[in-house]
Amino acid sequence: MSLSSRMIIVLTSVGIISGGFLASVGHLTKNRIALNKQMQIEEAIISVVPGTSSSQKLYEEKDFIIYAGKDNNGNLLGYAIYTSGTGFQDKIELMYGINPSLTIINCLTILEQKETPGLGAKITDKESFLKYWENRDSSGSLSLHKPASSSIEELSQAEINTITGATISSEKVLQIVNLSLEQLKSLKKDGKFGSEGKDAS
Amino acid sequence: MPAKSIAQEYIKGLWKENPVFRQLLGLCPTLAVTNAVINGIAMGLATSFVLIFSSIVVASIKKLIPSQVRIACYIVIIATFVTMADRFLQAFFPPISKSLGPYLPLIVVNCIILGRQEAFSSKNSVGRSLIDALGMSTGFIIALLILSSIREILGAGTFLGHQVMGAWFKPWIIMILPPGAFMTLGILLALALFIESKTKKKTVKRTV
Repeated sequence: MSLSSRMIIVLTSVGIISGGFLASVGHLTKNRIALNKQMQIEEAIISVVPGTSSSQKLYEEKDFIIYAGKDNNGNLLGYAIYTSGTGFQDKIELMYGINPSLTIINCLTILEQKETPGLGAKITDKESFLKYWENRDSSGSLSLHKPASSSIEELSQAEINTITGATISSEKVLQIVNLSLEQLKSLKKDGKFGSEGKDAS
Repeated sequence: MPAKSIAQEYIKGLWKENPVFRQLLGLCPTLAVTNAVINGIAMGLATSFVLIFSSIVVASIKKLIPSQVRIACYIVIIATFVTMADRFLQAFFPPISKSLGPYLPLIVVNCIILGRQEAFSSKNSVGRSLIDALGMSTGFIIALLILSSIREILGAGTFLGHQVMGAWFKPWIIMILPPGAFMTLGILLALALFIESKTKKKTVKRTV
């Protein structure tokens, strides 16, 4: 056999065998990976709209999804908003819970981020960032408290504490939320959602 | 090259030919993911998996591969195992897969793996290649552990997420950023050279 045909045969067969392996591994893990994603979304909905027993997708567009969180009796507890935008380094995907009248943000959770480890990545940390998102007044838009304050009492109802050393990441999260709040309010005004289920409060 | 015993084949990866400290291979993941011990361990294990299995495969089919296309074959084999490891982590350990980010798929171009195929597995038996890969993997994991321990303790005051430094300690944020990685690695390399030069002198004296 000539050298070139041997080269072709060996490379092709190595490629085919590898491809076969990958196809089967991909097939075996595909469902599990999709399930993980699904579970992550569901867990996030439950964590941002406490007491949710069933959720329902109400509205969807690019980088913006509204889920309704309902309790056992079908009462509307609040909305879970999935949204994303550019962070300091890459896309930040997050979800927050808001009451049915869109005036109070329950809490926020970060689903995906690639911020600087140890600095910007603290946006996923409860103590340094997420706790400041609990029960914020969202009737207007939110603002950032700079420089970082050490106690939560110093902040006003519509203020979020900055992470020391990661102002940009904190700002980006705030921008993403503010932008989606505007979108949410205008959608509600247009009657795109909000007529489903009774208000539990 | 005189034939080495199995034990020597393994032990050389730990210190004498340690991939990070002595051969300076695989520095990209070494620098990038060692900001936390758990990431260092996960990266070390994933790399070991790929290194061990590609060494076995390469050593077992080395006679079939024409030397002109050997690198291409090695890369395809390595990439297959990397993708398998990546999918596996995504499916069963999503948090680890997330924190390693793009560095997991980048194991494909980790020079330790390609280097060992070219320098060792393509010339040695399956058994010896396996031992060599195990030794190199252990060496790599040790290097990542040392580096990530120093960086996590100084940079965040924690070890594997547990607080180890007292409240008086103010974390050196620079240690978990890229400059901290370069400085730590530089100091460790200097230390490794220093130890090496000391031990060499001793052996010379002994023989004299």
